[in-house]
Amino acid sequence: MSEGSVEIKELVKTYTDDRGRPTFTAVKNISLPIQDGEFMVLVGPSGCGKSTTLRMVAGLEKITSGTISIGGRVVNELEPKDRGIAMVFQNYALYPHMTIFNNMAFGLQLAKKKRDFISDTVGRTSKALGLDHMLERKPHALSGGQRQRVALGRAIVRSPKVFLFDEPLSNLDAKMRVQMRSEISKLHAQLGSTMIYVTHDQVEAMTMGDRICVMRDGLIMQVADPLTLYRQPENLFVAGFIGSPPMNLLKGKVQRRDGGLFFVETAEKNGLTFPLQGRLESLAGKFVDKDIVFGIRPEHLSDEIKDGAAAPITSTVEIAEPMGSESLVYLKAGTGNLIARIHGEHLYHLGEQVTVQLNMDKVNLFDAATENVIR
Amino acid sequence: MTATQKSYARKAAAHGFLICFVIVILVPFAMVISASLRQGNFAPSRLLPDKVSLDHWKFVLGIPYQEVVNPATGQTRMVKADTPPLRWFWNSIKISLLSSAGIIFLSGTSAYAFARLRFKFRSATLSALLILQMFPMVLSLVAFYVILDFAGQYARWLGLNTHTGLIMIYLGGISNYIWMIKGYFETIPASMEESARIDGASQFQTFVRILLPISLPIFAVVFILSFISYMSEYPVASVVLQSSENWTLAVGANSFLYEQEKLWGRFAALAVLSGVPITVVFLLCQKFVIGGLTSGGVKE
Repeated sequence: MSEGSVEIKELVKTYTDDRGRPTFTAVKNISLPIQDGEFMVLVGPSGCGKSTTLRMVAGLEKITSGTISIGGRVVNELEPKDRGIAMVFQNYALYPHMTIFNNMAFGLQLAKKKRDFISDTVGRTSKALGLDHMLERKPHALSGGQRQRVALGRAIVRSPKVFLFDEPLSNLDAKMRVQMRSEISKLHAQLGSTMIYVTHDQVEAMTMGDRICVMRDGLIMQVADPLTLYRQPENLFVAGFIGSPPMNLLKGKVQRRDGGLFFVETAEKNGLTFPLQGRLESLAGKFVDKDIVFGIRPEHLSDEIKDGAAAPITSTVEIAEPMGSESLVYLKAGTGNLIARIHGEHLYHLGEQVTVQLNMDKVNLFDAATENVIR
Repeated sequence: MTATQKSYARKAAAHGFLICFVIVILVPFAMVISASLRQGNFAPSRLLPDKVSLDHWKFVLGIPYQEVVNPATGQTRMVKADTPPLRWFWNSIKISLLSSAGIIFLSGTSAYAFARLRFKFRSATLSALLILQMFPMVLSLVAFYVILDFAGQYARWLGLNTHTGLIMIYLGGISNYIWMIKGYFETIPASMEESARIDGASQFQTFVRILLPISLPIFAVVFILSFISYMSEYPVASVVLQSSENWTLAVGANSFLYEQEKLWGRFAALAVLSGVPITVVFLLCQKFVIGGLTSGGVKE
């Protein structure tokens, strides 16, 4: 096995109080193989166990059960420093009383590396990060972005096999975040090291990850590359979590009418009805008269009639957010609200009647009982 | 009244109150200084002495001086203290410095354990400390006496009438300092220490190289507080230290207040003298008592 691979097997983390009584299970038996050189993003809402998982890989949390291997070696009982990892924290966690140079050199000094080697390594890394002119400063004299770069440099000088990032960008302002995002991606391309990146921001996850692991309540919901995750969510949670604005989800039933299958929205009146044909018909066959959830991404509601199966929806504009090349239009139709991402420079107005075309080829159906996608 | 007048009146009232307050604080201090510079050993009746005399200061500093015994004949005699009060002064400084240093070490390490480690009976021990510190040290005076007496039979240097014995007792008073330092430690984000751990620092290295430098302000405060309290501690010292060459300043000063004759002048001179090391320690520590030491390390 190559040395940067990480293998998480049946990992469980249960927190205990002072007396060792279990209080809360943060990670519930997850398994996740990460390949050498892969950029794996753990994403999920707060409390989903993603940070706990990362901290167990780092060796900062004890593992309740299961194993973590790095480079084919089980590291459960190894100290963090012996695992070949480096970590970048959300709050930078720089040593405030040390200069930038010492912040970056601290690990090497503890490892009793030669002086020349230390100054050489730190010098090279700081230059690459554009920090070489501020090595004698203390962290408080730096801006947020510079501080996070120091934290990054501190990780790099240890030349780890695996980089761990715990929401490293969430304390930065929007512009800095975009810049650091590409810097980390560049770093990954340069070093080729394995990176495990925890974030709650699905945009970060989508833009940076080779693969994304979506977590909820201590369980893995889906592991896939960004586009698969976006196009073929395994369950309602992933469908709702990935994508901004989120996928439109309509609750309803499959009904047989006039020999064909229809999705009928659950509503007192004016519920939306769509014919289910072809692929959808075969999928929905087993769910006649059962509750399902009908999912469609905002960009698959358009104002033009396209080739292929399209279903028209008559709706009223509630809010329009023109973004220039496209508009996010919040529509009132049926019982609920639909969000459409419509291309073009047409300016929509409140109360305007719009007929949008729903692209039936892009529809995902979910079993309402299990919340899993219907395949 | 116009608004300006009103604001003047308010300012005048506030200043008046503050000035009165300052006078209340400063007058006793001025009286002590004045008493130390007065001829004769009387409690001062007026703020300014009629005749300035350095006799009490000479006595306290161990310089022999002539004292008029009989004003009618002009007969004088040389006066010199049996045990020079400066010795008490050094005793006090030695004991206070050593005790405070010990307190810093003990309470710092214990506070670290309470703040960062998880172990059985952690919260129970913390509450016990809190309750124990509510009883003044004086209440255990009898026990201290017996313990030191017993210890002295086996180790002379640890027994009654020794400075080590007294320091050992003083080191027992760390519970409130533990609470203070623990509170400070808990404001320091754990990620800083975790980061050091990943960098390869042992728990002890993390404590010494990361936590201690960041915590200088609270250690300075604890040092000042414990130094002041041991410089002026009387009850325990008076029981433990029996021979005059071992006395601390507080015990020595009290020895001037005989039942029949209270030598206020000498007492006052010694009291002023005892303020000197406290002031010095305070000034030295003050530069560490600054906020913002952790600033820049983490983003709050």
